Order: sequence, then C-alpha cells, then structure tokens
Amino acid sequence: MVDKVSFINSKTLRKDAFVKVRGLLKFTNDLEVPGMLIGRIVRSPYAFADIKSFDVSEAMRLGAVVITPDDVPQKPFNPRLVSVNEVTFKDHYVLTRKPRYVGDPIAAVAAPTEELAQKAAESIKFEVERVYEPVLDPFKAMSVESPLIHEKIMKGDEWIEVKNNVAATLNYVEGDVDKAFREADVVIERFFKTGKRYHMQLEPKAVLCVPEADDKITIYTTTQTIHNTRILIHQIFGIPLSKINVVKVPIGGSFGSSIQTNVLVPIAVALCLKARKPVKLTYTREEDMLDHSNFTFNFRIKIGAKKDGTLVGAEFENILDVGAHQIQPYPLLGTSLGWFVSLYKWRNIRYIGKAVYTNKVPGCALRGYGAPEVTWAVEVIMDELAEKLGIDPVDLRLKNYVGLGDVFWGQGPTVRSVIKSDGVPELLTKGKELIGWESRGRPEDKKGRFRRGIGVGRGFHTSGAGGPISGEVIDYSGAVLRLNEDGTLEYITALQDHGGGTLDAHVKIIAEELGVPPELISLATATTENTPYDVCTHASRGTYVGGEAARRAAQLVKQKIFEYATRLLNRVVNPEALKIRYDEEVKQTIIYVEGSPDIKITLKDLARTAWQRNWGTIAAIVSYRATSAPPSFTVYYVEVEVDTWTGKVRPVRVVAGADVGTPINRDLVEGQLHGGFAMAWGMAFIEDTPYNPETGELLSRGLITDYKIPTAQDIPRVEDFKVILANTYEPTGPFGAKGLGEAAMNPAVGAIANAVYNAIGVRIYELPMTPDKLLKAIKEKEGD
Amino acid sequence: MSRELRPVPINLRNTKIIPFEFQYFEPESLEEALQLLRTYGSEAKILAGGTDLLVKMKIRAVEPKYVINIKLIRELRYVRADRDSVRIGALTTWRDLEKSDLIREEVPALYDAVKSMGSLQIRNMATVGGNLCNASPAADSAPPLLVHEAKIKLTSIEGTREIPITEFFTGPGMTVMKPYELLHEIIIPKRKGGSSFIKVSRVAMDLAIASAATYVEVEDNTIKDVKIALGSVAPRPIRARKCEAALIGKKVDEGVLREIASLVAGEISPIDDVRGSAWYRREVSKVLVYDSLIKSLERVRR
Amino acid sequence: MIWVVKITFKVNGQPITLDVKPNELLINVLRDKLKLTGTKYVCGIGECGACTVLLDGEPILSCLTLAVDVNGKEVTTIEGISKNDELSEVQEAFMEEGAIQCGYCIPGFIIMSEYLLRINQKPTEEEIKEYLKGNLCRCTGYVNIIRAVKRASESRTTKTG
Ligand SMILES: Cc1cc2nc3c(=O)[nH]c(=O)nc-3n(C[C@H](O)[C@H](O)[C@H](O)COP(=O)(O)OP(=O)(O)OC[C@H]3O[C@@H](n4cnc5c(N)ncnc54)[C@H](O)[C@@H]3O)c2cc1C
Ligand code: FES
Ligand code: FES
Repeated sequence: MVDKVSFINSKTLRKDAFVKVRGLLKFTNDLEVPGMLIGRIVRSPYAFADIKSFDVSEAMRLGAVVITPDDVPQKPFNPRLVSVNEVTFKDHYVLTRKPRYVGDPIAAVAAPTEELAQKAAESIKFEVERVYEPVLDPFKAMSVESPLIHEKIMKGDEWIEVKNNVAATLNYVEGDVDKAFREADVVIERFFKTGKRYHMQLEPKAVLCVPEADDKITIYTTTQTIHNTRILIHQIFGIPLSKINVVKVPIGGSFGSSIQTNVLVPIAVALCLKARKPVKLTYTREEDMLDHSNFTFNFRIKIGAKKDGTLVGAEFENILDVGAHQIQPYPLLGTSLGWFVSLYKWRNIRYIGKAVYTNKVPGCALRGYGAPEVTWAVEVIMDELAEKLGIDPVDLRLKNYVGLGDVFWGQGPTVRSVIKSDGVPELLTKGKELIGWESRGRPEDKKGRFRRGIGVGRGFHTSGAGGPISGEVIDYSGAVLRLNEDGTLEYITALQDHGGGTLDAHVKIIAEELGVPPELISLATATTENTPYDVCTHASRGTYVGGEAARRAAQLVKQKIFEYATRLLNRVVNPEALKIRYDEEVKQTIIYVEGSPDIKITLKDLARTAWQRNWGTIAAIVSYRATSAPPSFTVYYVEVEVDTWTGKVRPVRVVAGADVGTPINRDLVEGQLHGGFAMAWGMAFIEDTPYNPETGELLSRGLITDYKIPTAQDIPRVEDFKVILANTYEPTGPFGAKGLGEAAMNPAVGAIANAVYNAIGVRIYELPMTPDKLLKAIKEKEGD
Repeated sequence: MSRELRPVPINLRNTKIIPFEFQYFEPESLEEALQLLRTYGSEAKILAGGTDLLVKMKIRAVEPKYVINIKLIRELRYVRADRDSVRIGALTTWRDLEKSDLIREEVPALYDAVKSMGSLQIRNMATVGGNLCNASPAADSAPPLLVHEAKIKLTSIEGTREIPITEFFTGPGMTVMKPYELLHEIIIPKRKGGSSFIKVSRVAMDLAIASAATYVEVEDNTIKDVKIALGSVAPRPIRARKCEAALIGKKVDEGVLREIASLVAGEISPIDDVRGSAWYRREVSKVLVYDSLIKSLERVRR
Repeated sequence: MIWVVKITFKVNGQPITLDVKPNELLINVLRDKLKLTGTKYVCGIGECGACTVLLDGEPILSCLTLAVDVNGKEVTTIEGISKNDELSEVQEAFMEEGAIQCGYCIPGFIIMSEYLLRINQKPTEEEIKEYLKGNLCRCTGYVNIIRAVKRASESRTTKTG
C-alpha cells in the first residue's frame, strides 16, 4: 500500500519568495502607467479648525489639477466596511472643510511630477473661520467645556447628534457583579492605559487609479480588502460596482492599517475623475503616520475571586480614544468585551464601553483589534490575583480559562460559538518546563543592579468573525478554482496575503485535497471582477475561513474530476468509486480505484481529454460563511533582565507556544510568533505617538527618528527563542487548521510585564513602560 | 481666544524628494571650496555625507540656495598621527574611524562612539566633520572629543584658526564657525590615560537619550587626571568640571566614584523631549558617568 | 553654477548616462528613471535601510544620496545580486529559512547580508545583528533573517572549503 503523500506536513517554499528575494515583486508603489499624474494631498495644519475659503489660483497656474471640498461628494462615510450598515457610524469626508486633526486632508492636486505636485500643493492658500485649541485627552473631551469635534454624524442612513464627544457606546451586563464582589474573598481594581501605537508597516500607503474606456476605473492599492474598497468608492461617488475594478496587489505589511480603505483612495479617485488621466498617489512616511495609528485604551478593571482561586465577577470599563474620525470603534467596543469575557470565566460581568473623539490621528485596528491591550491588562491583574491568593499564576490560569466545550464569543456578543479544540494545558505545561518556571524566584529576593525575571501570559485570537447567526459583523469569503487543459490549476481569491503566507496555506490545502503538488497550482491575479466577495483579511481569518473556502472549491473540482474520470475509466460504476492522490513514482496526480491498480488515469490526461472532447472546463466558485470562529490559543513565557540603574530592559529568553490546530506551514507559523514577539516588545517598552499639546501635531512630526521599533539588536539570541506548537485538531477548520496572525502577539505584552514584575517587584500600568517610568518606579520602591 | 494658534508646516515636508531646487557646486580642491564659501556664505550649505543636511532639506528645516558638495576634496579624508597628536580630516567617515587601529588605540572613547553610532550604512556615509558642524546636543563624536581635549581647525579663504572643542559649540545646531569657514581637521593630543563613551537610547540604532564620555589617568590607585563630558543633557555637549574637580586626588573606589558621579546632575540642564524626560536624563547621567569611569579605568590598567 | 548635470555611472554592470537635476535623489533615479523598483522608499530619512544599495561595493542609503554624487561610480541594486536567474546563497538562504514575509524590507536585508558575507565569511550572531541593525523589518522579528544569514555563511564556507 502506498502512503498518501501529504503536502500539508511537508516543507514548501513560498510561491512569491523567488520574486521577493530578487526585488522583482511589484507593490502598488512600484506601478506606473503611461501619462499618469502624481497626486499630493494638502493637509490641515491645524488640529481643530473650520475653513472658510480656498485660493487655488497659483496651483492652477502651475498646471496642476486641483480638488477642494467643493469638488467632492459631501456625504459622510466610514472607510472600513465591516459592521452592517445600521451600526456603521459615518463622519469621514473625502476632503473636509472642518479638519479635526493636524493632517486631515483638505485639498489635493495632481501634476506630471512629484516635485511639481509638491509645488502646487504648497501654493494652495486658505482662510480659516475659527481655530480651536486641540482636545487631546478623551476625558477632557467628554467634559462640558470641550467644543464638539463633530456635531452631527450618520449612523446607518440617519443623522445623529454627538453628545460630549462620545462617538459610540456599548454596555453589557451578565449576572450580578455587585453581589459577586460582596461575596468575594479578594477584590482587585486597577487602571490601565496604553500608548497610541503606529503600525509602521514597511510599505507606505499608495494607490494608482486608472480611467478606462466605457467610464470604468481600475484601482490598484494597498488594501486588505479589494471588495470593500470597491463598495466604498461606489458609495461615495455613486459609480455602479460594475464600473469599478479593484485589483489585488501585493502589500508590504499591514497589521490592520489597510483594514479600512485608506483615505488616499477616494482622493485619488476624485483626482482621476477630474483629470481624466491616471493618478498615482503615494504617501510619504510622515503622511502615513498621519493616516492611521492605533486606538488608545483606558481601562478600569475590577475582579473578584474566592480563596480557592475561583473567579466570581469582573467589571470592565473601557474608554477608547478614537481620534478625530471613526474607523469602526463601535465593533471594537464589542470585541474588547469579547476578548475580556473569553479569556476567563468571570461568571458575573458588567461592561461599560465608550468611544470618544479627540483631535488626533484616527485610530484603527492594529494586529489584534484590542486583544493585545485587553490581554495585557487581564494577564497583569490575574498575576496580581495569583500573588494575593498565594496560588501559582499558571495554576490560576488553568483553573479559570475559557477552554474546551465552553461558549466563546471573542469577536463580541453577537458572534458566539463553542470551543472544539484547546491546546492550552499542553502549552502551559510544556512552556513552564522549557523556561524553568519553578526556579524563577521572587522579586523580593532579587538584589543587585541587573535582575532577571520570568513571566507568563496567555491569550487567544479568533479565527475570523464567523458564527451560526448573522450578527452585526459581515464575514464571508470566496474562492475560484479552475483546472487548466494541461492539468495545472488556477486559484483565485480576493483574500489578501499580508506576508504571513496565508495564500501559500490555501495552496497547500488545495494540494492536499486534490493530490496535486503545490507547484502546479498558481495564484492567479485577483480582481473584484473575477472573484466572489471576501470581507477582508482580518481577524486572523485567512487560513481558517479563506482556507476552508479553498478546500470546498477543491472538493467541488474533485467531484467533477471524478465524473469525467468515470466516463473515461469504463469499468467504474460511479464517481464515488474513485480516489485521487499524488503518485511519487510516476510524478503525477492519478485518479484510481482502490485495490485495482490498473484502473487509473492521470489528471493531466483527464484534463486534456476533457478539452479535446468538448466536455467543458472543470471549475468551481465558492462563497463561504464560517459558522464558528474558533480561538487559536497562544502562551508566552518570557525572561527579561532589568538594569535597575537605567530602567532599561533586555529580553533574555522566550518560549512562544501556539495552538493553531494543524499547522499548515510550520515555518510560517514560527515566523508569525517571532514577528509577534518583536511587535509586543515595541508595544511594551517603546511605541507611542505623543502629541504637541499646543499645536496638536505629532511630536515626531511623522519622522521615524522618533518612532522607534525594535531592531535586530533588540531581540533575544536566536537559540533563546523557542517555539512550541500544540498537538490539536480543529474539527471545523480545513484539515484541522485555525488562524494565527494576531494570536501570535496577543499575550506577549502581558508576559513581558509580568516578567518585569518578577525581576524588580514593580508594576507599570501605563504603556509603554519606558526606562523613564521604570526607573521612577524602582526609585520609589527602593527609596533612593 | 487666549493665544494665537499657529499652523504647522506639514505641507512643506516631503521625504520622498528634495522638494526645492538649488544651485550645486562640486569643488575639487579646498581652495575652490573656500572661494565658493566666501562668495555664497550664509546662503550656501556644505554637503558632506548628507545624513543630516539632506534630512533637514527634505523637512525644510533648512533651504539653502547653494549646495557645495565637498566630497571630491580627497585631501580632507584621513586619519593620521604624528608624535603628539592624532589628526582626523573633516571628511573622514565614521566607517573609516571604525576601521582605524589608531582610533581604537589612541582615542578609545571615540571608537566606542563609532560602535554605537547609527547603522553600517550611516557610518559609511556620515562624516565626523558633519557630526560636529551639525552641532546636535546628541552628536556622538562630541563627548569623546571633549574629554580628549581636541582642537578644531577651521579654514577659510582668510586663513586658518584652531580652537579648543570646548569653545566650538554655542547652542543646539550652533557653533562658532563663520558662514564662510570650513571645518578642516580635528586634532587630538595623544595622552596616556584611558577613555570610554557610553550612551543610552531607546533601541539599538538611535540617537542618545543621554551620553557620557570620560578620560582618566591614575597614579598609585589615585585619580590624577579626569575629564567628563556629556551629550543630550544640555543645549550643547558639555564638560562636567565640578565633577572632574571633585574626583582629582580620590582613591579609585567604586563607592566614591558613584557618589561623585552623582554630582554631575547639578551641572547639566536637560529638557523633556520625545526621547526622554529631563528627570530621566538627570538620573541616567549619573549612571553613565559612573559606568564610563569604570570602563575608562579598566582601560588604564591594561 | 549647475542646473542640470550629465552623469555617467554603472548600474548592475550596465553603463548609464543621464541628465539629472542637483536635487534629484539616487533612489528616485533608480526607481523612476531606470525602473529598478526593488530599491524601496520606506522612510526617506535614513532610518530603515530599505533603500540600501552598494556604491562601489559599500552599502549606502539611496534616499540620502544625490544622484549627481554617483557620477563615475558603480551602483549595485537588488536586481543585480542574482546573475541571470541564478540566486545567490543569501537569496537561497532567505527562501529556505522562511525569512520572507511581506518582502518589502527584503531587498535591503539581502544587500546588507551580501555585503557582510563579502567582508566576513563567518560572522557571529552579534556581528550579523550589528550589520543588520539599520534595516527594519516589521513582520519577521528578525529571527529567521538571522538564521538565513548564518545558513548562507555556512553554505559559502562549505563551497569555498
Ligand atoms: C538614521 C540616522 C542615524 C543617525 N545616528 C546618529 C548617531 O547615532 N549619533 C550621531 O551623533 N549622529 C547620528 N546621526 C546624525 C548624522 O549621521 C551625523 O551627525 C553625521 O556625522 C553627519 O555627517 P554628514 O557628513 O552626513 O553631514 P552632512 O549632513 O553632510 O552635514 C551636516 C552639517 O554640517 C555641515 N558640514 C558638514 N561638513 C562640514 C565641514 N567640513 N565644514 C563645515 N560645515 C560642514 C553641513 O553644511 C551641514 O549643515 C544619524 C543620522 C541618521 C540619518
Ligand atoms: S528609505 Fe532610505 S533609509 Fe529608509
Ligand atoms: S518581511 Fe515585511 S517588513 Fe520585513
């Protein structure tokens, strides 16, 4: 008996690697078409102003195409389409007369060269009606003295009035928290605050918009979702969907920064429509930092527990600083709660969520959509609880975590399902041994200048945002698969690969289903014209949802292959008698009858025959909605060393554990964990975008000289970074797989913070834990 | 409205291009360069490695009408020694210093600075002259040169002058140089003591939050001579003279060194900025001075 | 006084003659005029290393280099690293080690790694990190990149004995 060749477990090189290592892969920034103009955006130099009038005469004289708010539809929109329309809040305009942060686009130009466009942009003058002091603090923004950043916004199709600068709210109650706290043996309450991080994806946002014959436009852009880009342009400009084609172009990292349609896309479309010429618009790094950064979170968390470690209740207040415009903070209020309740069984819950406007860069998702923040806070407070109760932190987690068989609603109250695979005990136990948990010591026993500490963090992310019931979030995907006349295959999906290797995983899934080597399956250019709708590569859904769509397409293709094969293999009674596999000896995919070795045909011959005999093309088109969004669990054990004289912290060792079900591409899974840890390190100690309180401008001015991310010298030694994968199988996922991207980072900051505590006995509740804050805390504690 | 809210110049910056035109010169001799400087003076900028100048031009912090690229003047790029001193030509790159045994042996503090400065690519492009002329309080070459009591040779069409580096910097981005002068050479007297440089920064490739260099000579386990300098903790790189005075004649003892190193806090005037707070700079300066003293002392003993 | 300058230089072995303005940057000449888009703009201010090219064999940042400054010199970009379709050991190793995610930073890393291995056949981990610290990557956390450089170094030393 021949063993079935498994492509899932074999190592394969990424399909796009060969062009990437040679610098030949074209990103949006690298595209050009003849006669194209270069666009440039004019941005508000004020944080909070109303503009009276523009003078564009000089720009016109320079020969530039110019647009101001008068030239674009003045209908508000939300650049991210993910919630259903009724709960989508809209306050963005393509160009605005009421800029609400330093950098808000107010006009734009296009000219034959970047230099000319720059000159034209600089020449545009405008008069302001009023300028306000910037409101940069969400608590201040909610007070009565603060002017309203937006007076009226749209919710769905209705105008609503904004009160106290509160953009959206979400409250939730389950059980009786007050009673629970009264009955608890221990109650802890803490306040947490995060930095405003910037994605710092390497590719700055870019778009190329090309007018075509028949009033069509083609758009190439840095996006995680070609379909939502198309729908948004349709909504803003009223162009029928059939007249807009958005082409999927490789993207140089994203981490959530293109989960929305970046606002340069509608601006380029407006320029293109006016100029009737192709327009390319690419951000400088400074502009990119003005386009997006994370939300800032202010948490109050109160938890109660019994002496034996049983949790009894939790109260969670979440004040989100959303910046000047909404890029879906409302669903974030829901997911924040989802992350919170799906971490541990609190039993009684009260949640108060408020999203508040400030005059800052609009906040958007950043790898985890609130999960790294919530998980950090919860993992820190759980550590404190463990200490108070005198229970080992690992045991406390094992006792209370939401796991196998529990109801799970990571993506918010409207997206519930039951957990069917769970590698948490395995990861926690293995990791404990690898890091040497038992010998980590207690902070009070550690002396000397350099002190080491070990911490643990545990978390998860959902695989997508699917569920059995249609909630407030849109989540489905699609795939197209076609057998070519020579037996090779073409796979087309709207789903974007941010670099994590999602599409390589899909190819492997198809390969496994059909017994066709991955090399013979090509990733064809995908556009909105040739793919079914896919919501977005977000929520780590690429492998789980998109992969399952691909598997189903492969299954349909397989059925047709069997039908055709039945016609060709004349003694076979029906298609069900057939099997397909890759035959190592003949190096071909064969369709055969088990036990009858001579009844077989190669896929290549079948494909060719089907063509020659006019049987028609074998192809499948699938649109797929997942009915659950299972959690991928991750665990971090981290060892750090703190210099107690300077407050500088160094990573010593890391054990990263992941439960991704079947790992479709092991090295890509490892790569995600490495990358997740580095990003977590930045979040823990370095990353923030502070503002000038007077002007409201970024203190860094958008220069990454002052937005540092970890470098190669800031990570642990390669051999000190260990990855462990849980041995689990997710029954609802393609070949047992779940997602990973975001889970790879979520619990790491908590683990790091707990390690710092274990080293020096100090907790910092405000991120980033800069050397400044750490040193101050150390001095306060040790009384120097 | 209480105070006038002024617009910020965000629409002028564009780091993809140099957003304005200028006239460009490529003198091939020192003579020619000095002549051009005389003619265009304050409207001209010298271009060496460009790692400071081009960034500033992209963000419009400076907008010269004339740019004088001095890279073709090969005679300005060297590290050499005579009996009493080490001489560094202004166009010497940080990478040149890194590869120079002379620097490692004779000016160890400067060698330390090289190792902590920028990236390989930056070190390949950036010149020491540019670092000094740019006169950032965070310039990493400054503290080492301050403790080695270097002299700066400035040349103009009118002749040359040598000034002690302690008098070179006058404020952030400001020096005693006249618009028509060119930094020609750095002269470092050879000394027998040990020296070192240390900085703290946010990540491995970064400007200093604060930095310190020290130079020490020891006799009979007693500090005979000591120089201390700091970067990023005052409007310009500075010497800490009180701290130095307090150390002279003291026995080499870690406790004593730590205590005296803390005096440095009284001699600096740090500010809050994105990289760190004034408080932190003050605290960490004490540690940097101490750590650097220990390292310099180790080098003396060897 | 110069407004437009004729410059002659070599790119990946090919001689080029071009008229450029003094304010033109090497990165834009490579990308826009010569269509060598493997060299990437990420920050424009020297902080990320994505625009690294070799100038007479030494790594420099093309975003902070005036085009006029390469007159008479030889530039090597990522497109010039592999001869025909044959990948270099470094390129092979990056593929093998899964060191590539989105790939935007990769050209800069490959150039730097090539340079490092040219001057130091067997770098230690510390040396690799020192040479690569001017190149930012947001996806990989650097671990597999460092592994790739080690692997390339090993395959080189075994080849050359
Ligand atoms: C990413 C990055 C990292 C950096 N890291 C560091 C760091 O760690 N530490 C540090 O100290 N600096 C750092 N710098 C700053 C910079 O690289 C150094 O200051 C460098 O030494 C400047 O030299 P240059 O040759 O590039 O100067 P240029 O930019 O060419 O010139 C700088 C200034 O000096 C003038 N000038 C140059 N040479 C002369 C001369 N001979 N006579 C008169 N005037 C002259 C120029 O007109 C200009 O005003 C960094 C810069 C970047 C972009
Ligand atoms: S683009 Fe040149 S270093 Fe970043
Ligand atoms: S692979 Fe994406 S930035 Fe390095």
